[in-house]
Amino acid sequence: MMMTDHNDDMLEDIFAQARAVASTPSDDLMARVLAGAVPPTPPVISAPPTSVGKRLLDMLGGWPAVSGLVTATFAGVWIGVAPPASIQDYTAAYFGDEVSVSIFNDDAVFATGDLTDG
Amino acid sequence: MAGGRRAPAICQEYKISVAQELMNAMPDPFARAPDEALLIAFANGDAEAARALTVRLLPRVLAQATRMLANTAEAEDVAQESMIRLWKQATEWRQGEALVSTWLYRVTANLCTDILRKRRGGVSLDQIAEPTDGTPSVADQMQTNTRMQALSDALAALPERQAQAVALRHLEGLSNPEIAQIMDISVRSVESLTARGKRALADIMAGRKAELGYDDD
Repeated sequence: MMMTDHNDDMLEDIFAQARAVASTPSDDLMARVLAGAVPPTPPVISAPPTSVGKRLLDMLGGWPAVSGLVTATFAGVWIGVAPPASIQDYTAAYFGDEVSVSIFNDDAVFATGDLTDG
Repeated sequence: MAGGRRAPAICQEYKISVAQELMNAMPDPFARAPDEALLIAFANGDAEAARALTVRLLPRVLAQATRMLANTAEAEDVAQESMIRLWKQATEWRQGEALVSTWLYRVTANLCTDILRKRRGGVSLDQIAEPTDGTPSVADQMQTNTRMQALSDALAALPERQAQAVALRHLEGLSNPEIAQIMDISVRSVESLTARGKRALADIMAGRKAELGYDDD
């Protein structure tokens, strides 16, 4: 028991001496540590697209938006070329029936009989 | 000639006092910043934050490694490696999860036990840590160095977890909850590890009592 106490005293004494050890980093160590402290490089930002077509595409909202535009355009052209019956009824109701009006009298335009008579 | 040399001395003194006043007026912006804030500033590209962090943490890391290894060159290598790992960790640092100091204690302890494990094959004889206070005689200094080396060798003979727990408790003076956090174990496990480790350490050191300058009476 006494021996254990002695051993503990010795150990505590050595612990205390170890805690008193000072370690001042040398200039060389400071330099080595700081040399390794390279700030992380920021993420590379890709350059903006340069071609006019690419910029126009981006301006319109990319391929998804452009495909919608193209579809709408073709649909509009097709409806104009071959309108469905329901559309025709609707336009007729809205704009009225097509009427041809002539401002000339068909009979009198080229008639010269009266002049020659006089 | 002598008068000519005196004037610049006065000017220099004046400059120093002005610089001192300026430093007092403008305190170091990093002085009160927590370690974590500095680490995040470094991750965002602030090299000065890394310098402030190095000045603050490197002495503590080096001291921990020196106490465990009792070898200046090895301790410096461990301290450098710990700090380099901290820089690498900076961008992936999870805020509020762990203290920077806790993380560094863990990394340094692991690196030290790696070296102690390798040392088991053959005892390192090139030391040494420097004793601090006073101006001890050469004999006293040699005695201290021998004791520090004996302590380090005894730590190398312990199981790694015991060696880490004993070193953190008795060489770094940390509390059991702090050690539990560093080693990621329960406080009860820390108590068990330190108790068993200290007992084993005492048994190992007992055989070298006379050599270390402790009388048996």
